[in-house]
Amino acid sequence: MAKSALILCMDVGFNMSNSGPGEESPFDQAKRVIQKFVQRQVFAETKDELALVLFGTDSTKNPLDNDDQYQNITVHRNLMVPDFKLLEEIENQIHPESQQADCIFDIALNVCVLVENTTIHKLDRRNIVLLTDLNSPVSSDNLDVIIENLKQADITLQFFLPFPAEEGDGEAPGDQDRRGPGHPGTGKGLSEEQKEGLDMVKHIMLTLDEEEGLEQIYTFSAIEQLCMFKRIERRPMAWPCQLTIGSALSIRIVGYKAVTEEKLKKSWKTVDAQTNQKDDVKRETVYCLDDDNETEVQKEDIIQGFRYGSDIVPFSKVDQEQMKYTHDGKCFAVLGFTKQSSVQRHRFMGTQVIKIFPGKDDEHAAVALSALIQALHELQMVAIVRYAYDRRSNPQVGAAFPCIKQDHECLMYVQLPFMEDLRHFTFPSLENNSKFTPSDEQLSAVDSLIDSMMLVEEDEDGKQKDIFKVHDIPNPAFQRLFQCLHHRAVNPGTPLPAMESWLKATLECPEVIRERCQSALGEIKNKFTLTQVEKKKKLKTSAQIFGKDSDEPEAKKAKEDEADEEFNLADIAEGSVTSVGSVDPARDFRTLIRQKTLTFEEVCKQLTHRIEQLLGNKSTDYYMKSITCVEAFREQSVKLGNADLYNSYLQLLKSSIPTQGLESFWELLVQDGVTLISEDEVEGSTVTRNEARQFLVTERIEEAAAHPAEDPGDVDDLVRIVLL
Amino acid sequence: EGYGEQLPLKLGGATCVREERLTGRDSLVFLVDASKEMFIKGEDGAPSNFDMTMQVVRTVYTSKIISSHRDLIALVFYGTEHSKNPNDTFKHVYVYHDLDEPGAKRVQDVDALRGEKGAKLAAETLGCGPSSLGDALWCCANLYSDIKLRLSHKRLMIFTCREQPHGGDNVKDRQARTKASDLKETGVVIDLIHLMKPGGFDVSLFFRDIVSPPEDESELGLQLEPCEKLDDLQKRVRAKEQKKRATARINLCLGDGLNVAVGLYATAVTARKPPPVKLYRESNEAVRSKTRTFHTQTGSLLLPSEIKKAQTYGKKQIEMEKDEVDFIKKFDDPGLVLMGFKPMEKLKLHHHIKPSVFLYPEEGEIKGSACLFSALLKKCSEKNVYALCRCIARRNNPPRFVALVPQNEEVDDAKVQINPPGFNVIYLPYADDVRTLDLPRCTSASQEQVDKMKDIVTKLRFKYKSDAFENPVIQKHYRNLEALALDMMAPEEVEDLIMPKVEQIDRRLGSLVDEFKNLVYPANYNPESKPAAKRKTGAEKKPKVEVSMDQIKVHVQNGTLGKLTVPVLKEACKQFGVRTTGTKKQELIDALMDQLSS
Repeated sequence: MAKSALILCMDVGFNMSNSGPGEESPFDQAKRVIQKFVQRQVFAETKDELALVLFGTDSTKNPLDNDDQYQNITVHRNLMVPDFKLLEEIENQIHPESQQADCIFDIALNVCVLVENTTIHKLDRRNIVLLTDLNSPVSSDNLDVIIENLKQADITLQFFLPFPAEEGDGEAPGDQDRRGPGHPGTGKGLSEEQKEGLDMVKHIMLTLDEEEGLEQIYTFSAIEQLCMFKRIERRPMAWPCQLTIGSALSIRIVGYKAVTEEKLKKSWKTVDAQTNQKDDVKRETVYCLDDDNETEVQKEDIIQGFRYGSDIVPFSKVDQEQMKYTHDGKCFAVLGFTKQSSVQRHRFMGTQVIKIFPGKDDEHAAVALSALIQALHELQMVAIVRYAYDRRSNPQVGAAFPCIKQDHECLMYVQLPFMEDLRHFTFPSLENNSKFTPSDEQLSAVDSLIDSMMLVEEDEDGKQKDIFKVHDIPNPAFQRLFQCLHHRAVNPGTPLPAMESWLKATLECPEVIRERCQSALGEIKNKFTLTQVEKKKKLKTSAQIFGKDSDEPEAKKAKEDEADEEFNLADIAEGSVTSVGSVDPARDFRTLIRQKTLTFEEVCKQLTHRIEQLLGNKSTDYYMKSITCVEAFREQSVKLGNADLYNSYLQLLKSSIPTQGLESFWELLVQDGVTLISEDEVEGSTVTRNEARQFLVTERIEEAAAHPAEDPGDVDDLVRIVLL
Repeated sequence: EGYGEQLPLKLGGATCVREERLTGRDSLVFLVDASKEMFIKGEDGAPSNFDMTMQVVRTVYTSKIISSHRDLIALVFYGTEHSKNPNDTFKHVYVYHDLDEPGAKRVQDVDALRGEKGAKLAAETLGCGPSSLGDALWCCANLYSDIKLRLSHKRLMIFTCREQPHGGDNVKDRQARTKASDLKETGVVIDLIHLMKPGGFDVSLFFRDIVSPPEDESELGLQLEPCEKLDDLQKRVRAKEQKKRATARINLCLGDGLNVAVGLYATAVTARKPPPVKLYRESNEAVRSKTRTFHTQTGSLLLPSEIKKAQTYGKKQIEMEKDEVDFIKKFDDPGLVLMGFKPMEKLKLHHHIKPSVFLYPEEGEIKGSACLFSALLKKCSEKNVYALCRCIARRNNPPRFVALVPQNEEVDDAKVQINPPGFNVIYLPYADDVRTLDLPRCTSASQEQVDKMKDIVTKLRFKYKSDAFENPVIQKHYRNLEALALDMMAPEEVEDLIMPKVEQIDRRLGSLVDEFKNLVYPANYNPESKPAAKRKTGAEKKPKVEVSMDQIKVHVQNGTLGKLTVPVLKEACKQFGVRTTGTKKQELIDALMDQLSS
């Protein structure tokens, strides 16, 4: 991968802190540019090395500092991969200083060249970025030497200045955006030194690169481009293979993943909240039988099986390995050709598009593949192929589309569905239903809405311009995560920031469109009636769900009801209740409280222990049992006028929902309306009635509920990798 | 997590499992006519209606086992001579399978009724007798009520080739109608799968009053021609048998508070081999797993408030609370927000990152949705544009941009819907998702070479159908399980349908291959051999790169471990005694950094 070394060379001399009233000083601007840039590098985790050189410093620290010429230049950091330490240093240690040395930036450049040369690594690119307001007097004596040095070391140069380099001399209109419109203090405000300095900068840049040199002079407002964290880049991995048609014709090819949903390389780790140490937290999985005692089973005594409908078939790993589907491995074999139109876009499967090119440095393969690509293109057909990445991975069926671009040709491979993947849902026709058929008026309202909201426009030259290119937008999830991580790292102990405004803006409908569609939108509102359907919320109580009503004979239910109210003789007869057991914990709980042989706290502790056990099972039947326990807990607490234990337990329970995956249990609890005990019920409760009601209304639950969805898939993936 | 894992859904998994927990199981009863007429063979020895029905039933059984084994299925015959039902209340009704999850044994049972032998077995066990559809429906009603589980979707399919099962007996007809409406009242959807008979099948004579009215107002259901071919039958049953469930119900906001309620449906989900179930060796019973988080030193269980989440960047570990992690992910409430429209040709073929989902209006949430949706669909289709939307399908999901591509309804000759009306939702890539490739220098083929390839392509044309290929990996897995479950000697062979039929291809191409090769390849060229250069680099790479412990330390300090290769990193882990379970590069780096940078 391309590695590069970059030196940020920043002017911190006293001139940099000059600014008009209400304006940000050049120093602060330059510092922000540097911060943003380093941030990007840190989160992109590039291997690029970076050094920081300051000039105009009060002190001196550089490899040449015994030479009088090289005073007031500090190499703050030598070339290395940037990290948070550097960011913290920039934040806390870099301040405007008071020196104003003459002819300093050319000398600083010399130091930079030297620093660049210290690295032992082979580099593909060397770059120096100079941030200054050009206010220190410049001498042009050494200029030619410096340019020569830069050229020899093959170092490119970039300037960041507080003002644009080409004010007024016929800038292309497009450049306006790049430099940021209406920058303060441009043009006329330049001092003599600055004008002189600017001329010299231009001279250097044009000498280094005649054609595009000036484009490498930026203003500090280029920060807008730097706000974005770097997009994730991955090195494309070549997949060499042979495309085969029958047994006799094969073409050497190489495939590259071209489009795929990029994931972050890192994931969240769990650490101890106190020590912040990962090693202090351990996760352990134990296995147990589905009986009342939850008998634990040793890992060695576990074998694997699979479901076949209602049957579970023991199927050892060894057997599975022996009997499983095997194939010859890597392959890209044509099964046949079909019309492009018969492969529907919405049937694309998988998570990637692979581009297929001819084998490396193989001209004959290039010609053969080109013939196929062009043939398919001309016939409007695609190849249906069997694709297998390697012997361990599952083979796929997919389509290879011809793709002919100005500068290259290739095949594009997309996976297609297997019969097992498809669900043939039938939906009621929209056209045959008079209620849903829009009138001509309604249709024309929609017609104008579409016209007013076209994101692709033709300009005067008839060229199409797309004003909303999704594939130019960086993944906002990554941007937001990095923003928050960065904030937490440099501002510990403060709440996370709001989303950056530029990021928010990229996700919104473009302003032009929003304005343009107003009247059409109003027309639609007039022509269509949309009314929210008031839903009588169908409340399902846990009893309904588990069919308690039908399962249990009326008599038994009645008996239980009685037990709720009054102490039942039968229960005394059973008399031997000494602790909350697992068979009917709620009943035991009530009995024990009446017996008063144990303290209320102790009995509650036993009950909650049972509840934890039951909830550990993650099964609806156990949830049911748990709910009766919680209800009993509540009822007895109210009776005894002691709300604290119950209330704090329920709050604890609620907070453990996301981590324990108890969403569905909670929903049942909500539906049964089992909430906190309010002050209305028990005097001394710290919970108001409203709080008690609000307690069950929680957003968290639903949020967390979405997570288990991903899990089976991941596990599945993992298992596949392990097994195959 | 119970049976949640079994569902092969990735996208829709959560919703389905959740819904199932809350609303119960799906159920399906096959009520099959076993009269003499059903056993009459078609012309030229074509299979009888009964035989076809059994084949379809078998397909449904096995596909349910793969895709949704928690569904309950029953198989009941009417018009039989013998009777078999709880307490034998009903004459001439034979409950072959009561409502239960399908398993290996049941597949075998159905198999036994197929073909020549099956007809014989049916004659012995079922026999043909007088029919009373009323009794049969009553019996089915009892099957439903005997189920202790909560049922969500209840469907009953009647397979028959007799338009008047009672031969015009008004009393019996009336009784059947009453029972049918009783069933419908309890939420059972009754479908008629009418089969071919000489002279056509007139639904209006009797069955119109038995079956449930179609979802839309159309008479589509009844206009259907009777099924003659197995293919049609399979298709029609399949279309009915799969209960559609929205994976999400959200609003499509056109702007300014103008909302259309829509449902998202996963119409194609990668089916996977299910994960194994853990069993106790001694008893073969399933075990449950419990995962606990505890403190390494004290051994005490950690409450959610006692743990944090962390990531390491730039050699710094950054911690967040669990709800901060959620907060970061949250951009907006779930929903689709319209950005604008683009011409269809702007939708690039290669902008594909995951399977699409289907969008259909939810009239039940916002009244008027279907009408505006329908207008939008019609106009997008007419103007050949797609709608670009921002999509958050679920709470705390970051946004994705999607293209809503209009799809008009399409039905086949037998009036079975092939494509439903609605929008296909195509997920679009962000900048991060599109990789930069170094484009190799290309040599273009001459027209002569292209033309020769066109001959080859034309020779190998076939009609692609998206459901033509079975997944050999999954099929093989289930054949194996079937064999083990049924104590078969060897699993049934699986034909690998995605294997190229090499001999056929060679035969069809004949001399074309050599002609093409002569045009593009020089005489001594062998595309099968690896290029020489490649092999050389392979050999060069072999000697192991040794990196000293000091060098590793320097790399740790500078954060340049990434420059090292995986084998070197593994070796380094060994040298420093760093224990790591990971094998990925990043994991190795993290482990080394953790150990050595502190």
